[in-house]
Amino acid sequence: MRWFAFFSLILVQCSLSAAHSGEEYHEELKLRPLPDGKLAARFAFTTLLKGAIPRAPTNLTVNDESQHYTLFPLAMGQLLREYAITELHLTLNAGKWDYDRWGYPEEPGVGSGAELWTWMGDGAPTSIDERWKAIQNAHAGLFCASLGSMDTQRTTSPTRAFPPTGDLPRLPAPHVHRLRHATLPAEHVCTENLTPFLKLLPCPAHAGIAALLAPHKVFDADWHGLGVHVRWRAGKGVELVMTVQAVFDPVRMSAERKRDWSFHSVFDRTIPRSCPVATTSLIHVELPPPGDGSYTLNPAPSTANQAVATFSISKDLPELDVTMKWGEESRFAYPLDASSTPLSDFSVQRTLKGSSQTHGQLSIVIRNNRPTELSVLYLETMPWHVEFYLHTLRITGPDGQQCNDLFSNMTYTPPVPHAQPAMLQAMLTLPPLTTLRLTMDARKSFLRYTEHPPDAQRGWDLPPAVFVTQSASGGASKRVYTPALLVDLATPDFSMPYNVIIMSCTLIALIFGSLFNILTRRFVVVKVDGNVPKVQ
Amino acid sequence: MAFELAFAVLLRLVLVLSPLRRLLKDDSQLSSPLTSYSRLREGIYLFREGINPYSGGTFRHSPLFLALFSTVIPDSEAFAAILWACVDVLGAWALVRIWRARGRVGTSKRDSLIAALYLLNPYIFLPSLSLSTSTFDTTLQLVSLMFAAQGQASASLLTLAFTAHLSLPSLLLLPPTVLLLLADPYSHLASPRPFNGKISKGLPLFAEFSAYFCSLVLASTVVSDGSGWIINSWGAGLLLPDLTPNPGLWWYFFTEMFDHFRPFFLMIFSVHLVIYVAPLCIKFQHDPLYAAFLLLGVLGIFKPYPTLSDPGLFLSLISLFPETYPHLRYPIVTTLLHLHAFLLLPLFHHLWIATGTGNANFFYASTLVFGIANGGALLDCVWAGLRVAMGEEREGYVIVQE
Amino acid sequence: MSDAVEPRESPLKDPSGLFFEQPRTRRTIVTSYWIVVLLALPLWWSTTSIERLSLPVSRVHSTGLKQLHFPLQVEFDHNASSLSFEALEKETRARFSSLQRQSEGRLDYLDLRFVAIESTAGHPAATGAYGVSIEPSLDRATVRDRHLSVPVNEGATHIPFTLPDRLVSLLSPYTSRHPPGRFEHLVAKYAPRYRLAFTMLNEDAAGGRPVVGWDVQEAISRHLSPILDQVADLHNFTIESQVQFHSPLAFAPYEIKSDNEEIHGLTQEDLKVFVNSAEWTLSSSVSNDPVLHFILFIPSVPHTPLRILDNDHNPTSSNAFILPQWGGIVLLNLPPDTSSPPHLSEGDLAHTFSIFRTQLLKLLGVSDLPAGVEPADTHLPLTKWQLDTLYRQRAIENAHSSQETLQSIIKLVDQISNMPVGEGVRGDIQNALTALNMVYTVGWQSPIQALRHSSEALTHASRAFFNPGMLALLYFPAEHKYAVYTPLFAPVAVPLVVTALRELSAWRKSRRVATETKT
Repeated sequence: MRWFAFFSLILVQCSLSAAHSGEEYHEELKLRPLPDGKLAARFAFTTLLKGAIPRAPTNLTVNDESQHYTLFPLAMGQLLREYAITELHLTLNAGKWDYDRWGYPEEPGVGSGAELWTWMGDGAPTSIDERWKAIQNAHAGLFCASLGSMDTQRTTSPTRAFPPTGDLPRLPAPHVHRLRHATLPAEHVCTENLTPFLKLLPCPAHAGIAALLAPHKVFDADWHGLGVHVRWRAGKGVELVMTVQAVFDPVRMSAERKRDWSFHSVFDRTIPRSCPVATTSLIHVELPPPGDGSYTLNPAPSTANQAVATFSISKDLPELDVTMKWGEESRFAYPLDASSTPLSDFSVQRTLKGSSQTHGQLSIVIRNNRPTELSVLYLETMPWHVEFYLHTLRITGPDGQQCNDLFSNMTYTPPVPHAQPAMLQAMLTLPPLTTLRLTMDARKSFLRYTEHPPDAQRGWDLPPAVFVTQSASGGASKRVYTPALLVDLATPDFSMPYNVIIMSCTLIALIFGSLFNILTRRFVVVKVDGNVPKVQ
Repeated sequence: MAFELAFAVLLRLVLVLSPLRRLLKDDSQLSSPLTSYSRLREGIYLFREGINPYSGGTFRHSPLFLALFSTVIPDSEAFAAILWACVDVLGAWALVRIWRARGRVGTSKRDSLIAALYLLNPYIFLPSLSLSTSTFDTTLQLVSLMFAAQGQASASLLTLAFTAHLSLPSLLLLPPTVLLLLADPYSHLASPRPFNGKISKGLPLFAEFSAYFCSLVLASTVVSDGSGWIINSWGAGLLLPDLTPNPGLWWYFFTEMFDHFRPFFLMIFSVHLVIYVAPLCIKFQHDPLYAAFLLLGVLGIFKPYPTLSDPGLFLSLISLFPETYPHLRYPIVTTLLHLHAFLLLPLFHHLWIATGTGNANFFYASTLVFGIANGGALLDCVWAGLRVAMGEEREGYVIVQE
Repeated sequence: MSDAVEPRESPLKDPSGLFFEQPRTRRTIVTSYWIVVLLALPLWWSTTSIERLSLPVSRVHSTGLKQLHFPLQVEFDHNASSLSFEALEKETRARFSSLQRQSEGRLDYLDLRFVAIESTAGHPAATGAYGVSIEPSLDRATVRDRHLSVPVNEGATHIPFTLPDRLVSLLSPYTSRHPPGRFEHLVAKYAPRYRLAFTMLNEDAAGGRPVVGWDVQEAISRHLSPILDQVADLHNFTIESQVQFHSPLAFAPYEIKSDNEEIHGLTQEDLKVFVNSAEWTLSSSVSNDPVLHFILFIPSVPHTPLRILDNDHNPTSSNAFILPQWGGIVLLNLPPDTSSPPHLSEGDLAHTFSIFRTQLLKLLGVSDLPAGVEPADTHLPLTKWQLDTLYRQRAIENAHSSQETLQSIIKLVDQISNMPVGEGVRGDIQNALTALNMVYTVGWQSPIQALRHSSEALTHASRAFFNPGMLALLYFPAEHKYAVYTPLFAPVAVPLVVTALRELSAWRKSRRVATETKT
């Protein structure tokens, strides 16, 4: 009897056994002083579920095994397993990332607004689009962001520009993984998104690096954004990275216009205690280049080399407040030649020209800042309101000559009215140190009365274009986002539905009735004699 | 007449290659989503790149245009200008031939007048300048009527099949064309008789037309690799996916219509087009050419995606029926209304779309005026066509209806 | 109408002589208009109709009148006993009827029947029947499956008093060792699948003495899995667990001094607001299944020890409480002396999980065994007798709830004439009715069957009621329809109808004239 009980206990334990073999949590903060006096900060909170494998979509019909987490947030775990998601990226950003002045961000997803893209395998009883809809709603509930309007009119599948950043587990043939991507450029991030975001962390408010995230200061930054990234690394497990990026302006916030910063001045907080469950808790400060004036860094870092100083937060650390002062500067002098030494490989400007409400012209000006040839992948997702005329695509070089041959390898999905956006992916070859102008005519559509949003006069937001550099040497490819555009579409008169019905129907009825009468009434001859017409 | 035609061609070429073309390109009164030249170029470009042009909503032309422009006709604006001018001239020539067949006359001075009334009619002239494919529609319609007036059944039905294929509402002209083939094109308005042709001879004509039509459908399906073109080009007139403003009555009505009633009213407007065919053919069975003329007027007002060339065709065809002129009751009013609408339509369109100081209601009001003008012209022509049968005006007597 | 005018006097011809003025032509034209109108009518119907399928209203009403009765057969084996069977039966019936009266009709579905049998083996002769026997060899009362065995040497005088009580308590649902009637409010609403969410909350892990892990899976498999397996006929369970490291309380606990020790306490009022939903991330499921939360709360160092206070602000001995229909909470005060291990092993969790087990049983509605009675088999802590009682009660509740849902659907569809009723809704209602019929026809035979069918009926009825199509109302007052239809159809219909009537009367008149002239 006891053996039986013992045996059954083993069996039960095996059936309830964990899907993963351990969890690890790392915290990291990277601070980078920028040449124009700003401070770029990036928080990364990484949780690793060792040995875990994403749920196979074909297993969605059977009950899932129990989920037991210590450090990984249960809400995210439930979401990932409920819809069998392999890779997920959600970013909520506000502001415009200036690639020329600030270089490239640590996390590439800096398009303004909300951006959500996932790689999911098919083969589940529900279709990928149904799961995609459910994922949007689940994230909308989890992060208090209205992501539910990412319907089919905004969803595309740009597989060349958004390849999976992790590994994809092999699915039984013929199932494959598919990409779903959607952007809401008008969705702004605010405190109500940060609060549930922080609640997913093991050590949110009073311990660890997350203690620095004060909503007042983070949302005062020139650029700020939240990110949630889930991916699977074969051999390691499922990795969840939650990031907060912000570009602060110490010069603006200081009274003397100095670029000295400290945790207290930038975040209005300090790190009171370490997080007891973090395996590593590091703060990296990138040191300014040697010619940039002398500075002091307090307290002394744990390790430092020429480029980066690292602070490691240990368990018995008292309150930590890192400060960096440029003692000899009385006032920060903005660099005068900022625009001639851009930090990015290429600069992009995208505008929609034209004052008419039926036609416009999309104009992209790209400048290659490097002395070598660059090839970039250009992704343009356009809602169906603005239709391109692809045959009017022209690329003009700096002397005005046509070089349409720099545009190659195009994939294009035409837009379907009321249903599907247009997606254009093409390779652009940028000759060294040249400026190219790409123009394309566009046509603006007329929407139905019920399709206009309540604030119809504001216009519609167009999602940012994405440029992905392809490095021939196999290095990391960088993703560059242009700012979002606003397009003004013609509106009907919203107060007039019944009036229009009445007037148009009256005209039609008038003509119909008159024609009917002429065709069916009798002709009579009337003698007009004197004052009284007599019928003859 | 040859001199006038050459002059017209030259004038058109000069104007197309001038900056006027830039101004008129894609003007929404001159070209609709079904006839716009830019969309045609876009469709050809996508076709050449290997993307199905009917997978999106930009290209709504028939696959026959695709086949024509991507294989036979080279892709340059100058050539297109010449082609459009020639097509217009062909239309004018067909109109003159119809006049000659109807009046049983040969070459006369009136030919130039008729050709000028067609070529210099701004409603015909301006869409042709903007390279709208509605020029093809009107010319093919006129050629079909010409063959029917000359008694050549197969040619007439073939061209009518082409016309109906390019613009589906033209299918409604099949009954009067068959009646015209079975009868004669001469003017019988003054002495009407019941239809003296044999109806049974009409059935083989219907069958022949169906054969031509089906083979065109088959050819289009082969060209475009599938039947998606049906929803894009014919379905556009039935489902109205594109709400670009045009001089017709449909677009604003369906912009403001509630979603629940949309399918119902789409059905009503389509049935409304059909309801005029039988009464007009029955009432004017003595003169089927006049019935075709009136039906073209009806189409010009109530078509789903009209351009200015559809009422323009109706107005130019009035020149074929001089016997009705004395009996028109209010031609001045109609002319002035047309002038009024012709000036207001582009003005209000510009105010609404380009400068933003106007409202959609301004342009809608001008389309209503345009509709009244066309409706007035149609009603007047119907009355005049019936009144001719009762003789000349006579002092002391009037003819009314009761 | 008018005589022919002499051609000499005027060139105007008589219009009525023209062929297109003939009545026949006119009638053909009017008929052609009307043919097109009539052909378009079915299209009108198909483009504007709302899908409203007919629902089986009569079946729903007739099902609503049915009642379910479970016959309970108690077999008394009076072999080796000197007790009077009739006295026992009379006493038990009296107590049972008084309990039914107290419950105001909620227990009327039970029909008690007593049978005396002679059986040596002690097993019930009929399936599903409950056996009572008096065994001399036992030392305390036990229940095995559906058989209550009472020891004879409890005193011959005790039995007539305690045995009826025990029987009544075993046969009626929702009994516990608390005052009757209080237990029902704790029990969670029925659902076919529950999520059991185990959460360990550190009030402030960074403040010192964090507990970073717990052997929750082993504890669940040791303490809870046997229960969950036994209740598997009733519910399916999904189990999940998480640990939170920073879960502050929304209020400051009450401070009292007791035995020279500072104790922090939770008053009875604080217990109601203990769960700080704003700051704690408890499990919220992505599906519609209800969640039962089980929380192990570890107070922070400044708030240790945390006790529950009674109404007089004295610390009680218990450190756990249930929130009705939500879950249970256990407070764990770590000993202050040693640096406690940051990981709670299975042994440390034994006490906590046995409390969780009790709380889970209460939340599921499993009645306790009466005082003095124990299960015969320690490895199967729930006897079939207890489970049967629960099955019956849940079956009745589900059937009643399904009936109510179906009737409210019918009433809703009836009142709102613009509500679409799709195929999904009708299919679900029909499936619910089929399942309810099964409950009433075969349910009385076995509680498990009744439960299965009634649970199926409840699922279908809920799905029909919450179908998204049922919530989308089409708000079309009659004026709106008139405003949309009238501008076009009124002016168009007037000439059509008037001319048709005129032609019809003229035709009839001419026919009459023709027949008159013939005769």
